[in-house]
Amino acid sequence: MGHHSIQEVSHEKFEFQGKAKLIPIVLIVLGAVLAIIGSLQVKNNWDNVGHHAQTKDGVTHHESAPNHHIAHADDHHNLGHVEDTLKESHDETRAHETTNHNDQHTKADAHATVDHADEHHGPTWMTRVWANLLMNSYYFWLFAVAAIFFIAVNYVANAGWAVMLKRIMEAQSSYLLIGSILLIGIIIGAKDTLYHWVQYFHSPAAGNPDAAGYDRILESKSWLLNNTSLFFFIPFVTIVWILIRMKLRKNSLAEDQEKGLTMFKNSTRWSAGFIFFFAFSFSALSWLIIMSIDAHWYSTMFSVYNFAVSFVTGLSVMMVILQYLKITGKMTLVSDEVVHDLGKFMFAFCVFWAYIFLSQWLLIWYTNLPEETTYFADRLEGGYRTLFFVNLFMCFVAPFLVLMMRNAKRSPIVLLTAASVILIGHWIDMYLLIMPGTVGEHAGIGLLEIGTTISFFGIFAFTVLRSLSKANLYPINHPYVLESANHDVGP
Amino acid sequence: MIDKSILLDNKKFTVGIFDNSDKLLHAVKTLKEKGVKIFDCYTPFPVHHLDQALGYHRTNLTVGAFLCGMLGCLSGFTLAFYMNVVDWPMIIGGKPQDISVFTSFIPVMFELTILFTAFGMVIMFFARTRLIHGIKEDLLSRRQTDDHMVLAIDNNEEQAISNEDIVALLTKEGAIEVNASKEAFNTSLTSEEDLAKILNPASTKSKKK
Repeated sequence: MGHHSIQEVSHEKFEFQGKAKLIPIVLIVLGAVLAIIGSLQVKNNWDNVGHHAQTKDGVTHHESAPNHHIAHADDHHNLGHVEDTLKESHDETRAHETTNHNDQHTKADAHATVDHADEHHGPTWMTRVWANLLMNSYYFWLFAVAAIFFIAVNYVANAGWAVMLKRIMEAQSSYLLIGSILLIGIIIGAKDTLYHWVQYFHSPAAGNPDAAGYDRILESKSWLLNNTSLFFFIPFVTIVWILIRMKLRKNSLAEDQEKGLTMFKNSTRWSAGFIFFFAFSFSALSWLIIMSIDAHWYSTMFSVYNFAVSFVTGLSVMMVILQYLKITGKMTLVSDEVVHDLGKFMFAFCVFWAYIFLSQWLLIWYTNLPEETTYFADRLEGGYRTLFFVNLFMCFVAPFLVLMMRNAKRSPIVLLTAASVILIGHWIDMYLLIMPGTVGEHAGIGLLEIGTTISFFGIFAFTVLRSLSKANLYPINHPYVLESANHDVGP
Repeated sequence: MIDKSILLDNKKFTVGIFDNSDKLLHAVKTLKEKGVKIFDCYTPFPVHHLDQALGYHRTNLTVGAFLCGMLGCLSGFTLAFYMNVVDWPMIIGGKPQDISVFTSFIPVMFELTILFTAFGMVIMFFARTRLIHGIKEDLLSRRQTDDHMVLAIDNNEEQAISNEDIVALLTKEGAIEVNASKEAFNTSLTSEEDLAKILNPASTKSKKK
């Protein structure tokens, strides 16, 4: 272009010290205090609620075993046909149970009954604490995963426009280490409480087809749902990701010292490898960590759904960090055009999320198989019903209508608002993924949930800002840095 | 955008022909600074920032596209609802025949939204830019559809500087050809005599660099 253009990118640093450093630490402590108060509240109220439920329902022992859909079909009738089918299926399974059909579902339900009778006492207040910890650690961990994926995609696609934002992505992915440690710690701590398949494989019925509680569905998944996966596979995958992330970061920092294409080419190779590995490993991790909460249920869209959540929230976080830096007077070389493109990306992946959501929902809704509809039936009843629609509104409808406008994608205030709406919407999304299968009807959004989120936000902000302050804000010698600085999408 | 039927108004133009988009853009900016009102520029490909330099506001095509999309979405809903619920209710997969099967309308609504938006945009764009099949463009230079760019200034308009100064400026800005009084022509309406002129443009050239 023959007119005004940037010929050199300046050295710019972000300072993270003093008061700025104190705020995340205060947030961590404040969040932890709130969470502890919240958990004590939950603990005190739990016995009352539980007792009340028991006296009211009398014999409905399923009440406290939310993993099994028949528990819910009993007391809700406002679901239209989905629920009707569910009720039918429930009656059917009951009939099967009495006539001793050796049907899969009968086995599963029989398991629920037997299992419950001896050791499974339903969710306690600790279940809610663990579920909440898992939800928040997974939610923030996804931001880091999305960031490293974004770096890799940009390398592999030879994309230039986002190079000015590369250090933000790198900083965001720096949470991967601490995030993975927290996540794995929480999974291992919570496995007995949250995953009913862990309890099943510890029971005498496991691997014994003649036993009363034998569960063919869970047995068929034992190749993935086992302790080896939990203790070795998850750490293995995250360690590989962290190593690749470290390699990319090291290359990126080395590039600041010397010009040339060496580092770029090397990073491209590592990125290609990462994406290949990521596709399989992320899928498996999403099954292991989240889908196995509803271990009887399965959906082939589930890992894509998790990826969609990850990417759209990651982009929103990137936008928030970028706007934060711009407000504090940094990153002035990042033009409106780049911000506009990042906004487009947010918009596009809101639609992508909705697309994936619909793909999962539409098939399950149409085929109407009881063992599949149970997932949505759980989420369309009681306290979850409102959140289900709030989630759709915040993650798709609102951002779709707002970010569609060109001026919205160029206005910092609108972008920040949209990013916040998306982030809160997907927090609710995570809540809907995890809570119905673990805490069931005892779930709620209180001090415990909000406090934990604040605390995790503090950890995330501290890690990211610290990483951001350790290098130039622009990758000055990246081969595409000038292309990004002069990026122009036309009128 | 400006009405492209420039032939019909019998206008005379001061024309500068460029073979470099950067030079054209610079010339537009210089002329604008001097207060010259530019009629239009004709380029065979989009020149970035030319529209800003000429002072054109952004197209409203996107608003039209949104409205078309809304129309398509509503049509899809009406279509599916009318057929599946009102006119010929059918039981599919044991589902009721009322609004609660909204999920099954979504693919129809989605597809019609896309269809209406795409067709609406194409039709609106063609209508607005008069790119209708069969219509011959009014040209100021035969090569404006190939590799030359034309900067046109209406001679009937009051200008801040004299016509001679404009011609001098255009030459200075690197126009390969400047014509102080040129009429538009249209290949479909051109007489034999005009056609000869077009095919042998040397006779109309006032100056060549």
